Amino acid sequence: MTNPATLPYDAVLLPLSRQRGVMGALVAGEADGLIIASQMQYGVEGDAISALAASLYRKARLSAAAAGLGSVQLLRLEAEGGHICAIGRDDLVVVVLADTRANIGLLRSTMMRVIPLLP
Amino acid sequence: MIAAPDVGWVDAPLRRFVEDARVIYALLLHPTGQVLGQFGFTRRVDIMGASALAAAIHATSAELGKELDGAPFRGLHFAGASREVFMAEVSPPGASYLFLTVFDVMTSLGLVQLYFRRLTAAIVAARPAPRAPLSDVQLEQDLTDHLSLVLGRAPASRPPYPSS
Repeated sequence: MTNPATLPYDAVLLPLSRQRGVMGALVAGEADGLIIASQMQYGVEGDAISALAASLYRKARLSAAAAGLGSVQLLRLEAEGGHICAIGRDDLVVVVLADTRANIGLLRSTMMRVIPLLP
Repeated sequence: MIAAPDVGWVDAPLRRFVEDARVIYALLLHPTGQVLGQFGFTRRVDIMGASALAAAIHATSAELGKELDGAPFRGLHFAGASREVFMAEVSPPGASYLFLTVFDVMTSLGLVQLYFRRLTAAIVAARPAPRAPLSDVQLEQDLTDHLSLVLGRAPASRPPYPSS
């Protein structure tokens, strides 16, 4: 059942979750790591990914600021079985979980394109 | 507040939670206020105050939940200026505990909730099985044995209790 409260986030999540190799995409609060809206494959532990990825993104942003590198644009974590990508705006963060089949270049450009659509 | 006996099994799951979630304080107690384990508090009076207040808040929110939702609320989150409080019920089979933690910007509510779920599972796994109530015969044997020990006599040798 569609949640009317999360409809504004569909424009952000659908272009990401429909890409090849993407196992899920979510929007979370950067400060609390709680999911606001998500499009996840069955069996993906969205709550855990949201909390950990949002924390990782926040710490990366703070590290970059402390190092005088400016703002973080996109964070990509490459693991043995896939990737976690995160991009933020204001106090929100968009997190994408993808396996090794994903086209990371396309995913990156899509994330950059949809981030201004965040409500 | 009454000190709870034999609660060492709480320490390992609680320490793991604190290390993973990076919280400042953590407290596990019975809903009555009896403390099972804690981390971060340095003064006994602080533990007593926190446990009494947590028990009171839990009782209040449970009643509020019954009024508004037909069932007790199981978790609460308060956000302060620099610190936040998360409180929730841990319910292993046959028991009920109250968990309270205080954290700051070093972690987040999402992480605290994530590791709280793992703490709950660890508590269920670590909790010793409740002891079966003593029968009249066992109670009398125990009383006799302890009396013998107090009086400096060796307890009478007898076969162990039958496992009920």
